[in-house]
Amino acid sequence: MSDPQTWSFMGLPALLWIPLLPLLGSAFNLIFGKRLPKSAVNLFAIGSVAAACVLSGVEVFGGLFFHAAKDAPPLWQTGGITQTAWTWMEAGSFKAELAFRLDTLSAVMIMIVTFVGTWIHIYSIGYMAHDKGYARYFGYLNLFTGSMLILVLAANLPVMFIGWEGVGLCSFLLIGFWYENDAYAYAGRKAFIVNRIGDFMFLLGMFLLYWAVKSLDFNDIKNMANVTVLKESVWGPHNAHVWADERLAAAAGICLFGGACGKSAQLPLFVWLPDAMAGPTPVSALIHAATMVTAGVYMVCRLSFIYSISTTAMIVISTVGLLTALVAAFIAFAQTDLKKVLAYSTVSQLGFMFVAAGTGNYTAAIFHLGTHAFFKACLFLGAGSIMHGMEHGGSTTPGDITTMGGLRKHMPLTRATFLISCLAISGIFPFAGFFSKDEILGGAWAVAGHGTPPGWPAFYGYILWGGLLIAALGTAFYMWRLYFLVFSGNERSDAARGAHESPWTMTIALGVLAVFATFIGFIGVPHLELLHGLPSAFHALANWLAPSIQHAWILDATHTVPIGGASGEASDTTTIVLMAVALGVGALGIAMAWALYGRGPSARVAKWVDGPLAGPYEASKHKLWFDEFYDATIVRPFKMLARGLFEIADRFIIDTVAVNGAAFIVSLCGRLARWVQNGQVQRYVAGLVVGAAAVFLVTDCHRHPAFSITRHGEQLQLHAEPGAGIVSANVKLHWHLDGATDCSAEKDKPGDPPDLTVRRGDVGGRVALCIDDAIARKMTVVTAEVPTEETP
Amino acid sequence: MKLFAWLIAAALILGVATPALVHAQPVPTAERPPGQGQGGDAPHAIVSKTHPHDDIVESRGKGMALLFWIFAAAAITGALFVVTRRNLIAAVMGMVGSFIAIAAVYMMLYAQFLAVIQMLVYAGAIMVLFVFVIMILNRPEDEPVAPTGRIGTAIGGLAILYMVGRLAMILVHVTLPNKAIALASPAPIMLPGWGSAGPEAVGWGTVKAVGADLFGPGLFPFEAISILLLVAVVGAIAIARPLHPDDGTDADPGTHP
Amino acid sequence: MNDLLFDVGYGHFLALAAVLFLIGVAGVLVRRNALIILMSVELMLNAANMTLLTFSRMWGDESALSAHTFALIVIGVAAAEACVGLAIVVAVFRGRRNVDVDKLTTLRH
Repeated sequence: MSDPQTWSFMGLPALLWIPLLPLLGSAFNLIFGKRLPKSAVNLFAIGSVAAACVLSGVEVFGGLFFHAAKDAPPLWQTGGITQTAWTWMEAGSFKAELAFRLDTLSAVMIMIVTFVGTWIHIYSIGYMAHDKGYARYFGYLNLFTGSMLILVLAANLPVMFIGWEGVGLCSFLLIGFWYENDAYAYAGRKAFIVNRIGDFMFLLGMFLLYWAVKSLDFNDIKNMANVTVLKESVWGPHNAHVWADERLAAAAGICLFGGACGKSAQLPLFVWLPDAMAGPTPVSALIHAATMVTAGVYMVCRLSFIYSISTTAMIVISTVGLLTALVAAFIAFAQTDLKKVLAYSTVSQLGFMFVAAGTGNYTAAIFHLGTHAFFKACLFLGAGSIMHGMEHGGSTTPGDITTMGGLRKHMPLTRATFLISCLAISGIFPFAGFFSKDEILGGAWAVAGHGTPPGWPAFYGYILWGGLLIAALGTAFYMWRLYFLVFSGNERSDAARGAHESPWTMTIALGVLAVFATFIGFIGVPHLELLHGLPSAFHALANWLAPSIQHAWILDATHTVPIGGASGEASDTTTIVLMAVALGVGALGIAMAWALYGRGPSARVAKWVDGPLAGPYEASKHKLWFDEFYDATIVRPFKMLARGLFEIADRFIIDTVAVNGAAFIVSLCGRLARWVQNGQVQRYVAGLVVGAAAVFLVTDCHRHPAFSITRHGEQLQLHAEPGAGIVSANVKLHWHLDGATDCSAEKDKPGDPPDLTVRRGDVGGRVALCIDDAIARKMTVVTAEVPTEETP
Repeated sequence: MKLFAWLIAAALILGVATPALVHAQPVPTAERPPGQGQGGDAPHAIVSKTHPHDDIVESRGKGMALLFWIFAAAAITGALFVVTRRNLIAAVMGMVGSFIAIAAVYMMLYAQFLAVIQMLVYAGAIMVLFVFVIMILNRPEDEPVAPTGRIGTAIGGLAILYMVGRLAMILVHVTLPNKAIALASPAPIMLPGWGSAGPEAVGWGTVKAVGADLFGPGLFPFEAISILLLVAVVGAIAIARPLHPDDGTDADPGTHP
Repeated sequence: MNDLLFDVGYGHFLALAAVLFLIGVAGVLVRRNALIILMSVELMLNAANMTLLTFSRMWGDESALSAHTFALIVIGVAAAEACVGLAIVVAVFRGRRNVDVDKLTTLRH
């Protein structure tokens, strides 16, 4: 096998082809898709994503396991494959290349994206079969996949930003896919705008990093991040004692995390995700469950070397994640739309991931990202299947769970996969969610105990752990409430009675994802003394991600504290106890849900809602009034500002002053110019006369009286030039050979001639000339030195 | 009208009397001018030390000054009449008076021939022509100041005032290019073909002298001006003749041959 | 001041000519009657003549005498010009029944 570093096809590096294949499929579908039969569209759409999946597999399992030399470690342990396509921009000292990096972290991501993406594409064949925008849908979906792959494979921040923006764009396009409906279009717009706010923070972070490090390549930043030279260059030598890297890393990290808040729907920018359910369900599954919203988590893990420097940033991330998890779980309790519950569940799970990242447990974050991708996608696809069935039953609001019930009889396959995914999300052994959620909780506990990073308050880890536990309880509760209300009990409407199972193109995807949701957890089994003999494949994820992620807190250039504590892993007992607690909490949640909703809507709950729980219920139902709050404080003032600016700047300044004013000035000048030529000869003569007077005026202005002294041997020639103009002929000149400058005595005396020849002996050092202008009644004095040398 | 008549009469009398005044007064000399040997007994220029103003005309003195001012006033008054009178005939009369005064001034400049020609041609012929046309037009009344275009006129007027002031200030003192000659009364000139100097010399500015120049070196301009006058006469007839019925429609009279 | 008044020099003649000239210009600008304008033009020509003769006298030698000839030619030209000008006035009057130059603006377009 050749060196994967050199793999290329048609002049482009192989890594570039991974995102390029879906992009080409997208271009084809968007341009030609309308006129082609569905089979052609399918071929290009699914074929390109499947091809990207295959290529990713080849790259990962072939390329990353390549040994550079006989005894050298495989590439995945030594930094992966970096390929540069070309230089994108170069301006002065700034250079951005189109570079792609395949290391273990991005390998995980591309496998998830392409694999889940392929199955969702297959599912969409059935789901969108009757839609007239079929080709456009697949075009956008491929465009999204391509952008996500660019984001994940990026080797520097500008390329990642290309992907970042691209997925944002595709999110907008796909949410507002059925744009004839105004509400859906507005939802798309809301998603884009809120994302934009995050993007702005991302850009700020990028600028900060560039300012400090002078490069945006991940390797460069990583290498600089550990060096103290940065301190002097940024903050000055007298501040060297300040942990300068930390402040910069904190600032940049928080700015970049702001971007992640937008993209991954954290507090306070999560408001777009529930509205994004306006798009087709496969879109929700792919973008808003499995891939796009995980971009933020990926970014934080990719930049782990920055975040590990700064405790401030870590605390911010963990806090925001925890609050988001709790708030989203709270809101999900009272929702009655199937997809909205799943959306809030996504937000909540993302909060989990960010808490993991915030405690330095990047491996856990990625692990949960992966497992979440599978079971959440399965849940969304299942929801799509349910809604599909309800529509066939004649429902006009297919997502409303109050009209569902008893669907277990009509849609058994969907029910089975939905059940598995609910077990997974609640963290029940042996499903995937158990392991990943437990990793997160364990990490939080470890941070509180012996593995506290410098600067953390010691108890904070416990708060995180406790909060996450509550959130996990809530997760289990509302997910199982959803399950029971949908599948258990009796049908509550005709639509439910008329529902039937979905076609095989849809159910096969459900099945595959459910299988993965069951078994994928086993790559992340925690290290336990008990399981000492387990093959390393069961700890594969931690080992796999180790080369790409920073695993130690960076104190300064030479000191690091490993994450998880100086003493290494936690003890066995702690781990098992924590696992048991997590499992118990999940089970408790299920039990509560079963108790209340086991057979359908609960009268007891209805009583509580009318009585003591009315307040919290209303708050939950109205999404804690976040949208209304934003509308009042941000949207409305902004609209007023825009309206005001329109009136002032557009109407007044541009229209009235600039455009009409320019016309007015032009016509004014025309009128003035026209005034000169009116056909009356007298006007022209007047012009002549004015011109003549002007000439008089001008030629009279500069009269500088002067005189020159030329010396010939012993003779001095004095020549007076009293100035220009005819008046000069009428002045009286008086020579003062002794240089005296007082002219008052000369007033009534007759004048001297303008040319005078005197002997040098008669003259002092200076000669003065008095010019008496009788008409202007002015006496001017000009002096000059006698030249010491012969004038040629 | 009577006032005009009196003014004109006074101007005529004084205009005739001036040459007599000019040549009758002997003038005392204080300094001999350098060079300029010919002419013998010609009066010399004076550069008086008490009068720093040294570009005065030879025939100076308070009398001459008075005459000059009178004629200057008459000329300017006449000119102002032209410019301001509503009655066209009054304007013409003012013009005539101005011409007569200007002729008198020419006399003071030793341009006798031109003075008489001025009177004959200008006052005698051209002004008569003007009077004829005024009679033809039969519209002696006119408004002196136009109601429109006042801004342009005002600006022009300001410019004129400025130039009057500046020119007057400048021109009252000039440097004489040839002081000796300029300050003396003009010496007789020797015309070619008229013999040597002496009693055959011709006076400066006399008919003989101007005629000799006109028909000598100035022959071409003379012939040319006669052709010009011919052309002018023909043109005037062509422009101003009445329209015949076979000349076509009325249109613009000036465009017909 | 005294010498300006009592010692009349060539400059005075020049100044007189300049003043007459400018009065003529003023006449051209101010008046609307075409005949008055023509008369003002004659005035200007006279002023020019006076300047010519003054300078010729200042030079005073025989070569300066040609200025008299020139002045004569100028008078001839003035006569020709007055003749033609009056003919035009008559022709214009015939068509429009007035000689107000403010109304003679067809040259504008």
